[in-house]
Amino acid sequence: MSGRQEEELRRLREELRAYGRSLDGSPGGETMAERVLARILAQELPAPEPAPRPRVRAIRHWTRTRRRSLVAALCGLLTVLVLTPPVRATVSDWFGFHGVQVRHDPSAAPSPDARVPGCAAPVRLEEAARRAGFTPVVPEALGPPDTVSVTALPHGRTLISLCWRDTAGRTIRLDQFPGRLDFTFTKTVREQPEWLDVGGQGLWFPRPHVLTFWMLDAEGRRFTREERTAGPTLLWSPAGRVTLRLEGVQSRVRAREIAMSVTNGGG
Amino acid sequence: MIARVRAGQPEAYAELVRAHTGIALRAAAALGAGPDAEDVVQQAFVKAYCALGRFRDGAAFRPWLLSIVANETRNTVRAAARRTTLAGREAALVGAEPVIPESADPAVATLETERRAALLAALEKLTEEHRLVVTYRYLLEMDERETAEALGWPRGTVKSRLNRALRRLRRLLPEGGAPA
Repeated sequence: MSGRQEEELRRLREELRAYGRSLDGSPGGETMAERVLARILAQELPAPEPAPRPRVRAIRHWTRTRRRSLVAALCGLLTVLVLTPPVRATVSDWFGFHGVQVRHDPSAAPSPDARVPGCAAPVRLEEAARRAGFTPVVPEALGPPDTVSVTALPHGRTLISLCWRDTAGRTIRLDQFPGRLDFTFTKTVREQPEWLDVGGQGLWFPRPHVLTFWMLDAEGRRFTREERTAGPTLLWSPAGRVTLRLEGVQSRVRAREIAMSVTNGGG
Repeated sequence: MIARVRAGQPEAYAELVRAHTGIALRAAAALGAGPDAEDVVQQAFVKAYCALGRFRDGAAFRPWLLSIVANETRNTVRAAARRTTLAGREAALVGAEPVIPESADPAVATLETERRAALLAALEKLTEEHRLVVTYRYLLEMDERETAEALGWPRGTVKSRLNRALRRLRRLLPEGGAPA
């Protein structure tokens, strides 16, 4: 082959690569991940089961080669097997939402009379913002918080909690943290939550559920996972950067009102 | 990572999706999904999740995922072909213009656009097998081994088809490639 042909082919390869790169979509990896996980949840797809081990494969191969004789013998048995649904893992469904992991576990046991914890070791709002490195949003519908606290999370991240007392003396709590896909909270639910339009997408958990969260140990050195029962909760992420978790509001309509007052107020 | 997904760790699958969204979108576009590329990729990721149990331990994830994307694209294109004419599809392809700095000479820009259009027209004229091998190896920038895995061909076949496809492409282009 001549040098000119070689050169043309080299250029052609370069052009093809350049064309391929021009087809790259916008870097929407985060949104795609959330869309995919939401679909998996919506369709209640079971968690993937591990591939069969070589030994199982060998048995399959053996049965395949002797299919005809086996089919007759096993017909009755196979019918029974097909009619019996496979045993599903206890935790069969999950998905992530702005840094909160939601697990579906019909056997989860939230305690019947749990209370929303208040904001311990309160600090001023400005101090909380300084320590956390972001300004917490204050929903207009709730007004200035009664107390504010700051909690450390792993990887140098920080959680800000705002607390209010409602007229009946119960706590309304709004947790805020920079949402990412390394999960800050895990919610284990017996019933699937519902999507709620709060200007963006929100998730409404109408029933009490088990909430797992990070806690620093007494010496302040090691993070551990703690569990408590959480009441009805609304999750949303108005600007996409910070995830908000509202607890202590029993009514879905009221929770949505509060969330909308953040979105409208510009956070 | 895949072992973690199978063990029911969701963040692992989110990471996989995030890491492969770019290349999956490129594959869908390159294989002709057009405006449906995002939907195709989303569907492919859901299917990949369901099929993860059949994923061979130790195999590369990317070629495996891209073969699912290719399947989904084929299904979508087949459905869309009933609606769209070939001419319309070509127009959509030419729409993906090369990135040219604003300061560039407009005459050069026109030339580049024409060259890209000629390249796409030539790609369309290749046989299915030749177009596939060029797409995987160059448009998707996979190496020979990954291309072989994604297409389910022996490596020798990938090599020889790729050689023939490139030569054919060169002949299909005007003047065997005008100087830039």
